[in-house]
Amino acid sequence: MNAKADDILTVESIEVVYDNVISALHDVSLTVPRGKIVALLGGNGAGKSTTLKAVSTMLQGERGKVTRGTITYDGVVVGDQKPSDMVRLGMVQVLEGRRCFGHLTVEENIIAGAYSRKLSKADIQTELARIYAYFKRLKDRRKSQAGYTSGGEQQMVAVARAMMAKPKMLLLDEPSMGLAPQLVAEIFNIVRELNQNEGVSILLAEQNTNVALRNADYGYIIETGNVMLHGAAESLLKDDKVMELYLGISKEGRKNFRDVLREESQSHAAIHHG
Amino acid sequence: MTEFLFFFEVVLAGMLAGTMYSLVALGFVLIYKASSTFNFAQGAMVFFAVLAFVGLMELGLPFGVAFVATALLMVAVGYCTERLVLEPLMNQSHDTMLMATIGLGFVLEGLAQAVWGVEVRRLDLGIGDFPIPWLVDNLGLFVSALDVTAGVVAAALIGTLALLFKYTKMGLGLRAVADDPGAAASIGIPLKNIMLAVWSAAGIVALVAGMLWGARAGVQFALVDLALKALPVLIIGGFSSIPGAIVGGLIIGVTEKTLEVYIGPYFGGGIEGWAPYVLAIFFLLYRPEGLFGEKIIRRV
Ligand SMILES: Nc1ncnc2c1ncn2[C@@H]1O[C@H](COP(=O)(O)OP(=O)(O)OP(=O)(O)O)[C@@H](O)[C@H]1O
Ligand SMILES: [Mg+2]
Repeated sequence: MNAKADDILTVESIEVVYDNVISALHDVSLTVPRGKIVALLGGNGAGKSTTLKAVSTMLQGERGKVTRGTITYDGVVVGDQKPSDMVRLGMVQVLEGRRCFGHLTVEENIIAGAYSRKLSKADIQTELARIYAYFKRLKDRRKSQAGYTSGGEQQMVAVARAMMAKPKMLLLDEPSMGLAPQLVAEIFNIVRELNQNEGVSILLAEQNTNVALRNADYGYIIETGNVMLHGAAESLLKDDKVMELYLGISKEGRKNFRDVLREESQSHAAIHHG
Repeated sequence: MTEFLFFFEVVLAGMLAGTMYSLVALGFVLIYKASSTFNFAQGAMVFFAVLAFVGLMELGLPFGVAFVATALLMVAVGYCTERLVLEPLMNQSHDTMLMATIGLGFVLEGLAQAVWGVEVRRLDLGIGDFPIPWLVDNLGLFVSALDVTAGVVAAALIGTLALLFKYTKMGLGLRAVADDPGAAASIGIPLKNIMLAVWSAAGIVALVAGMLWGARAGVQFALVDLALKALPVLIIGGFSSIPGAIVGGLIIGVTEKTLEVYIGPYFGGGIEGWAPYVLAIFFLLYRPEGLFGEKIIRRV
């Protein structure tokens, strides 16, 4: 896999280790074409968050390290940059679990997202208006303390805050976590709008395979730190085996992951294996 | 009437002394907010700062120059602390950070004494410790000019810092880091710069507190322990709350002064020394997060 100019992100065979011993990723490769939404799917502990943090360099803060492979973002090899450097290069991660600044108001949270930019008071107001156009709900709640808003609103605050940095690429970690289906739908609609209107490329980690694939262009499925298969979102979505595996819908009950994969590889040429 | 006036005098004196406690407590709150660490070196910073200031004055520098130079020195101390102590320890446990601040305290104490010696020095701010004539003549109030000055200066410094936090970009960054350092990093808030700003602010607060205390009690090693008075203030006010530091300081100041005056004689005096701690224990039992302690907001 060679980094192409029309790919904003290329991850090539990375291995990640925590605390110098715990191996979290073994061999993960993926590509995010510019302007696309790519879903990274997998169960608990599969390595989704670790992959996103490797890309955003947030790993450093958790004593994690990329020990092999390369990450190229927008023509830059990601190495010992700090998260603030990556933000300045236009890459922002929305961490798992929303992570709003609970004691700040909704609007202060969003303004904090512009910390890396040099904006005048007037510029900030313009930017806020741009953000509120997507997150209409937040405009009404802007004076509320973020810690007391609902889970869905907090997730919106987290995404809105990230958008305030004017990113070229967003890394979204499980935005659907713990939210009611119609809220999940609302958030994904906004994410799609942001992708289309602002041209922001998105790498999306999700356990909610169905929703993620319906909103993404391409998908990767990882398991215990390895990419198991990848393919266009529709083909993964249409694939009964994938659905069976990740949604637990199966006539014969849940199968072992590897069994499903084996059948998978025999029957589906459109899907590539990691 | 004179009875009431006297009570008023006592309360006022308590409040003025209290602003000083607030000031020292504020130094702790700043660092606690940014790094969730109790900065054991705060007392040493007070001592170090005022000793440096007096030392520079003795070299013949004018007041203003000595003040600015010492303030810059405290910024440098903050910078070195951030670079040499905190940054290498970033992501370590809070216990490790706590130990580091204890170590830092010893280093600062030792350094100050090595450079400027151990004897007690006088600091003359040019303000007498005697009642302000105008207040005596017009209101019949006996309040020391030094107390009033100290109270006003402390209040002004606290007010300025509170406004900076509320309305500046750096202040927003600090409040964000205080809430969630990880999330702050994820949107590009540079933790290093925030820490640097906070340690510098805490250093300047330490300098001012040291000058105000030193002017009354002499510049001496005991200032390190005086900073411990901030502990009950923090317990009452909450470790991470600026309004808490202010109100907590005032409560401690007023309580210890009124107790000292009204029931002190029955205990043979010296109540000031321990009353704040008793009050703090009551708070620990009945309101452990303090008056203004930020409630941990949990909502899913
Ligand atoms: N800070 C850490 N220190 C040590 N090990 C970690 C750390 N974070 C994650 N791990 C380990 O790395 C592996 C991958 O975890 P990761 O959080 O990336 O999974 P995930 O796919 O995001 O899971 P989830 O859906 O539960 O969020 C797991 O085995 C996990 O225990
Ligand atoms: Mg995760």
